[in-house]
Amino acid sequence: MRPFSADLHIHSLLSPCASLDMSPREIIAHALSKGLDMIAITDHNSTLHCELMVILGREAGITVLRGVEVTSIEDVHSLVIFQGEAETISFQKWIDGNCAYIPNDPDFFGDQVVVDSDENVIREIGHYLPAALNASLDEVESAAHRHDALFIPAHIDRPSMSIISQLGFVPDDLCVDAIETVGTMNDLLYPVIANSDAHIPVHIGRRYTTYMLDHPSFEELAMALRGEQGRHIIQTVR
Amino acid sequence: MKVTEIVDKLGLTVFSGHEGLGKEITGGYTSDLLSDVMGHAEGGSVWITIQTHRNVLAIASLRDISAVLITCGEKPGDDTMAQSNEEGIPVLGTELPTFEITGLLYSIIC
Repeated sequence: MRPFSADLHIHSLLSPCASLDMSPREIIAHALSKGLDMIAITDHNSTLHCELMVILGREAGITVLRGVEVTSIEDVHSLVIFQGEAETISFQKWIDGNCAYIPNDPDFFGDQVVVDSDENVIREIGHYLPAALNASLDEVESAAHRHDALFIPAHIDRPSMSIISQLGFVPDDLCVDAIETVGTMNDLLYPVIANSDAHIPVHIGRRYTTYMLDHPSFEELAMALRGEQGRHIIQTVR
Repeated sequence: MKVTEIVDKLGLTVFSGHEGLGKEITGGYTSDLLSDVMGHAEGGSVWITIQTHRNVLAIASLRDISAVLITCGEKPGDDTMAQSNEEGIPVLGTELPTFEITGLLYSIIC
């Protein structure tokens, strides 16, 4: 086992708020140049770039985990990180079934496009992806765990769209696998991780976490968050 | 003015926390951000919000809120109502949007 660094919160150009430079290829190139061993792709309420990112990552020699940043009805953002393709597809169906389908205004919010490996636009998403789902934080948590995914409330110490800004504190019966912070909030009851929440290429890896793992993978990450068999979080880097 | 009086005057639903219907209301606070309510709401207020999460009751208890009024026809979950009963803080409801019910309450309280 050895330390591996991971940035598990990265938006592609599919998220309206992300720069159009955030193509899957560009993300992989930047992640490699930052020396990251593992990343997760986490667009707002959409997993449509996950498969392409996994394939490109495999070609380039960096582990890419499938993920999504879900907005629950309280306007709280949470990361959900998946084990494999089947769980990702099934969870996307659950998202789509709880989606409010509010039309996107690309001039105001930004474009929401799906690209192929050659960066050709193959699809544009018409509804505003970051809008809150018609599902509570608890429902997101149980849907994530039904899909054997990791559930990680995002940037909880940020003054907007966070569990603390919206709900005041982390409910003690919410079953979280870890908590993501942007500041130095470390005195928590939960495993704390840091990620970049990159929306532009230069932000990739601006925050990350090092983990003691056998190799970078979903299963190893899950063990590290639980502190099992010598796997653990080493430190958050901000 | 007591909680029960605003219930009668504005035709509000009482979801839970009936034990607290005799509480005195001295003002109101309208906000959906719990961190904001935690920092700024005055004790004795009726708190008007669209949030139905059970954390609402924890914050209401912390700030000594007299009643929580949920707008737009939203309904609290069982866990939220259980917490309300435990704290003795009524959770009320209205079909009206937040702006309208805030205006109506302002006209009768203030």
